[in-house]
Amino acid sequence: MPIRIITTHLEFEGQVSEQRVVIEGDEPPVWGPDAALSIVGTPQPRVDGRERVSGVAEYTYDVRLPGMLIAVGLRSPHPHARVTRIDATRAEVAPGVRAVYTRFNAGDFLHPDNERPFFGEELPYAGDLVALVVAESRAQASDACALIAVDYEPLPFVIDPEAALQPDAPHVILTRENNGLSDEYPKTYERGDITRGLAEADVTVEVRFETPAALHNSLETHGATAQWDGRTLTIWTSTQDVYGSRRQVASALGLMHNQVRAIKQYMGGGFGSKFGTHSSGMLAAYAAYKLGRPVQYMLSREEENLCTGHRSPTIQTYHLGAKRDGTITAIDLHAIANVGATGGWFPPVSMVAKEMYQCPNVRTVDEGARTNLGPFAAFRAPGVVEGTAGFEVALDRLAAALNMDPLEFRRKNYAPEHQAMERPYARKLLLEAYDLAAERIGWATRDAEERRYPLGRDGHLRRGVGMASQMWGGDGGPPAQAIAKLLPDGTAVILTGTQDIGTGTRTVLAQIAAEELGLPLEHVRVELGDTEFGVFSPGSGGSMTLSSVGPAVRMAAVEARKELLEVISQLAEAPTDAIELRQGAVFSRETGKEMGTIASFLDQLDGHEITAKGMRGPNAEGMTVRTFGVQFAEVEVDVGTGEVRVLRVVACHDCGRIVNPLTFSSQIEGGIIQGLGFALMEQRIVDDRLGIPVNANLENYKVPTIRDVPEIEIIPLDRPNIHANTLGTLGAGEPPIIPTPGAIANAVAHALGRPVDALPLTPDRVLKLLNQEATV
Amino acid sequence: MKAFDHVTAASTREAVELLSSAAPDGARLIAGGTDLLTLMKADLIAPPRLIDLKPASELRYLRFDDAGALHIGALTTLADLERHPEVAQRLPVLPQSVRDAATPQLRALATVGGNLLQRPRCWYYRGDALCWLKGGSACFARDGQNKYHAILDHSPCVAVHPSDLAPALLALDAELVIHGPGGARVLPVESFFAAPTDQERVEYRLAADEVLAEITVPRQPEGARGAYLKVMDRQAWAFALVSAAAQVALRDGRIEHVRLVLGGVANVPQRIRAVEDLLTGQELTPKLAEQAAERAVAGAKPLAHNAYKVPLARELARRALLAATGLMV
Repeated sequence: MPIRIITTHLEFEGQVSEQRVVIEGDEPPVWGPDAALSIVGTPQPRVDGRERVSGVAEYTYDVRLPGMLIAVGLRSPHPHARVTRIDATRAEVAPGVRAVYTRFNAGDFLHPDNERPFFGEELPYAGDLVALVVAESRAQASDACALIAVDYEPLPFVIDPEAALQPDAPHVILTRENNGLSDEYPKTYERGDITRGLAEADVTVEVRFETPAALHNSLETHGATAQWDGRTLTIWTSTQDVYGSRRQVASALGLMHNQVRAIKQYMGGGFGSKFGTHSSGMLAAYAAYKLGRPVQYMLSREEENLCTGHRSPTIQTYHLGAKRDGTITAIDLHAIANVGATGGWFPPVSMVAKEMYQCPNVRTVDEGARTNLGPFAAFRAPGVVEGTAGFEVALDRLAAALNMDPLEFRRKNYAPEHQAMERPYARKLLLEAYDLAAERIGWATRDAEERRYPLGRDGHLRRGVGMASQMWGGDGGPPAQAIAKLLPDGTAVILTGTQDIGTGTRTVLAQIAAEELGLPLEHVRVELGDTEFGVFSPGSGGSMTLSSVGPAVRMAAVEARKELLEVISQLAEAPTDAIELRQGAVFSRETGKEMGTIASFLDQLDGHEITAKGMRGPNAEGMTVRTFGVQFAEVEVDVGTGEVRVLRVVACHDCGRIVNPLTFSSQIEGGIIQGLGFALMEQRIVDDRLGIPVNANLENYKVPTIRDVPEIEIIPLDRPNIHANTLGTLGAGEPPIIPTPGAIANAVAHALGRPVDALPLTPDRVLKLLNQEATV
Repeated sequence: MKAFDHVTAASTREAVELLSSAAPDGARLIAGGTDLLTLMKADLIAPPRLIDLKPASELRYLRFDDAGALHIGALTTLADLERHPEVAQRLPVLPQSVRDAATPQLRALATVGGNLLQRPRCWYYRGDALCWLKGGSACFARDGQNKYHAILDHSPCVAVHPSDLAPALLALDAELVIHGPGGARVLPVESFFAAPTDQERVEYRLAADEVLAEITVPRQPEGARGAYLKVMDRQAWAFALVSAAAQVALRDGRIEHVRLVLGGVANVPQRIRAVEDLLTGQELTPKLAEQAAERAVAGAKPLAHNAYKVPLARELARRALLAATGLMV
C-alpha cells in the first residue's frame, strides 16, 4: 500500500498539537447510524474477566523471576534539603545486600526526559529519592535502608502556593529565579474586552474556589521488574504506555530500541500518572543492567502518595457578569495551580471557562506555582475536573444572583460553536442531554418543600439537586497501527501495541475485529501490552485509546477480510460479492445457504496465514470534535453532623457509538465514584510548618467505599459521530469524572441554601459552612 | 518491621508466665494483630518476641450469668459480639458500637481485648516524627494538622482514642478482669483508660506482665436502653470524628439512670458526669436534651482545625440521649 506523510491536529488533555504522521492505504467508510452491526454495540463480558477475577492475571507485583532481587528506596524526610554526606558502608555489607545506589556512585544516572539525576544533591520535597538498596529480599533491603547514615542540610521551604509566588518566598529549587512554573507563566488568554464585559453586566459575582490535591491511589503502585540477559532488557512495568517505557529505558541506559522490551498485560489502575515507566521503572532497569540479575522495584503506598503525582491543588478566582435576562457578558478567571517542586506543565483549569458557555468577553490567567511538594501529574481530565467544579459553582452563584433557574441559565448561554477557535463543533447534543437528564432527576420539583425537607422544616435533613455540564475531547487520532492475522483454523489474532489499563480495551478491540471478520468473539484473540510483538500505538490516555486504536484494528480486519474473500472466491469459484461471512461460516448471498466454515476453506491451503495491516487515518479538519454531557446529583445533608450523602447521580454523555454497553457503564460508574471522592472526601493534607504530607496512606487519605456509592443512572445516547473516526466513537474514560464534583457541590449548596467555596465537602467543612452567617 | 520470634500461649496462665519471664519490653501479646502489626510495621514498637494468645481458646466466649451480667472473653472477636442475638437484644449499644467499626474483614480478626489496647491513630504518632507520645518533647498535632484531634485538653498529647467499643463499655459501667503474676484483679473500664502522663505515655493502665482476660458488663437497670452514634468522613471504614454512647433507664417517665460517653474528643473516652447529674430524676424533653448536650461540651477547647467537633459532639450527645430514651430513632 502506498504511504503518505500528512499533518494532522490532535487535542490531548486540552492541548492542541500538530502531528506529522504516516498514513498507509485507505480506511474503510465510517460506520454510520445505519450500519448493520451484530457484535459491536452488544454487551460483552470482558474477554479477560476470568483471569482477572480468578487471580491468574499477572500484575507487575506478581512477576517472579529466578534470582530476582528486590529494591527498596530511602527517601528524604525533609521538604527541602541538600544531601552533604551519605555513609552506606554498613548497609553495603548487611546480609543479602547486593548494591546501594546514591548520588555518590550513581549521580550520573539521569532521567532521559528532564536530565535531572535520579539521586539529586538538592532534594526539593519530602519523598525525593536519596538511596536505593537492592537485596535478596524485601526485609533485607528495608533493614539495610535503616543502616544508611545521611547528613542533610535543611533548606528553607514553602508549601502554600500563594506564599510561594510572593517575591520574597524561599526558593523551591535553589537554581531557579522564582517559583513560577516557567517564563511562560502567568499566561493570559483574552477575547473581547473583559472590562467592558463587566461594565455592561447588570449583575456580577466574585467567587473564590479552592480544590485539594487528590492522589491517584491506583491499587497497583508505580514500579517495575526488569531483567537484562546480555541481549535484551525486558521490563514488566505498571504503565499506560509500553512504547514510551521502551523509549525511556533505552534512552536512560544507552541501549537501542531493539534491545528493550516493555510489557504490561494487566493493569492495577492507570489514571494519568503512568505515562512511561516512572523513575522506579528506570531504576529497576538500571540495577538489573548493572547487576545482571532481575530486579523488582515496586513503590510502597507511602512512596506512591509522596512522589508519583497527584491532581494539582487549585485556587480559582472568578469575576462573572451577566445581563438581567441572563446573558453572560464577562468571564474573568485567575487560576493558580500548585504544580509541586518539579511539575512540568500547567493543567488546563481554564479550558471550560473559555469554551463551555457563550460569552464574548473572556480573560483567563493561568499561574503555575512551584512548592516544596512532590510533582503533580496528569489525573483523569487534569485541570478540567477542578476547573469545571469551580466554574459550575460560580455559575450557580451568578444564576442565584439573577434569581434564575441554574439549568435555564445554562441553556440561555449555550455555545453552539467553539468560540476560542472560531469553528464549529462536529456535533453537540448537550441540549438534548439536558432535557433527558433533567427529566430523569426530576429537576422541575427540586425546590418542592417535601423534597428539600424530607423530615419537615424542623428535621435535620436537607436535600438538594445540582448539575454541571461536561466537555472533553476523545476522538483519538493517528498514529496507531494494528495487524490482523487469520490462522489456518479460521481463528484470528489481532496485534496492537496498545495496552488495556483496565478499561476493557482488549474486549472492545476483539468486538471490532470479530465484527469485520465475521468471526465469533471467542475466535478473536487480541495481543497488546508488549513492544516485542506489537505494532506502534500511543499511550492510553486522553480518553483516546478506543478512538485511536479501534479504527486501525477495524482497517486491518477489513483488509484481512478482503484477502479471505479472495481466497474463498477462488477456492469456491464464486465471485467475492456473492459470499458473506458470519459467525465463522461462509454463506452464499444468493441462496443464504452455508458453504462451509471459514476454517474449511483455509484448511484447503498448505499453511497460509492471512496478514493485513491497518492504520488510524487523519482527523477531520475545520471542526472540533468533542464529547459533551451533563450530570445531575441529588444529595442529602445532615445539618446536625455535616454529613453529605449522595443519593443519585444521573449521567448523560455523548460518547458517540457505544461499542460495549458493559465497559461503557463501567467507565461512567467509575468516573462518577472517583468524582464523588474528589467532591466529598479525598484530599492530601500537608503540615505547613514541617512541610510534609501527613496522610500519604489509605487510612487518612479517604477514597469512597461501596457504601458511599449512590444510585447511578446512565442515559446512553449511543449515536455514532461520523466526524470522529471510522467507528463513530468518542472516549468515555474522562468525561464521566468531569462534571461530578461540580454537580455535587451545587447540590450541597442547594441543600444548604449557602455557597460552597472549597472541596472536599467533609463534615468539618460543611459544619463550618453552616456556622457562617452568609446565605446564597 | 524488625525480625522477632514467635511463641504460643495455650492459656491465660501460660501467657502471664511467658510475659513475666521476658525482659522489659522483651515480649508482646498478639491476638488479632490488627493494631499490633501496624505498630510493628511502622517501627513504633519492635518486640523481640510475640506471644500468640489465640490458642488460649478459653478466652473466647460470650456468656450471660444468672445474675444477668455479660462476660466477654478478651479473645472474642468484634464479629462475635456483633452477631450475638442475646447481646443484641439485651445490650443493643454493644453491637451498635461495633457495627460501624473498621470492615467485616477486620472485625472478623480484631478481638475485644485488643480493641481496648489499640493505640491512637494520630498521623504524627503513626508517622516519622518523634512526638511526645513516642518519647519526644513536643506534640506536633497541637499546633499542626489537628482536624481529627482532641477538644478536651488532658495531657501534652492531643490524640484521641480510636475505639468504638470503649465508649459503649463505659456507658454500661463495664469492668475488666486482669490476670498478673500475683493473681487476678478487677478494674472499671473507666479507671483502665487514663490520659498519658510523662511517666506512662500510653492511654491505658496495664502492667507489662498482665493479661487482659475478660470484660464484664454488669446487669443493667430495669428497662435500660442504649444508643451508639458515630460520624465518619465516609460511610464506612473510618475512625469516628466524634462518637456518643448513651444508656438510659426510665422509671415512671423520669430518668433513673443515665450514662453519656463521648469518643473522639479526648485522649480517652469521656464519661460526662455533669450531664448525668443534670438529667437524673428529670423527664427528658427535647429541650432538656439540648441543655444536656450543651453541658456535654462545656469546657471544650478546640484547636485550629477541629472547632467543628464542638457542635458535632453536642449534636451527637443530644441525639444519643433522645435515641436511648426512644424519643428519636
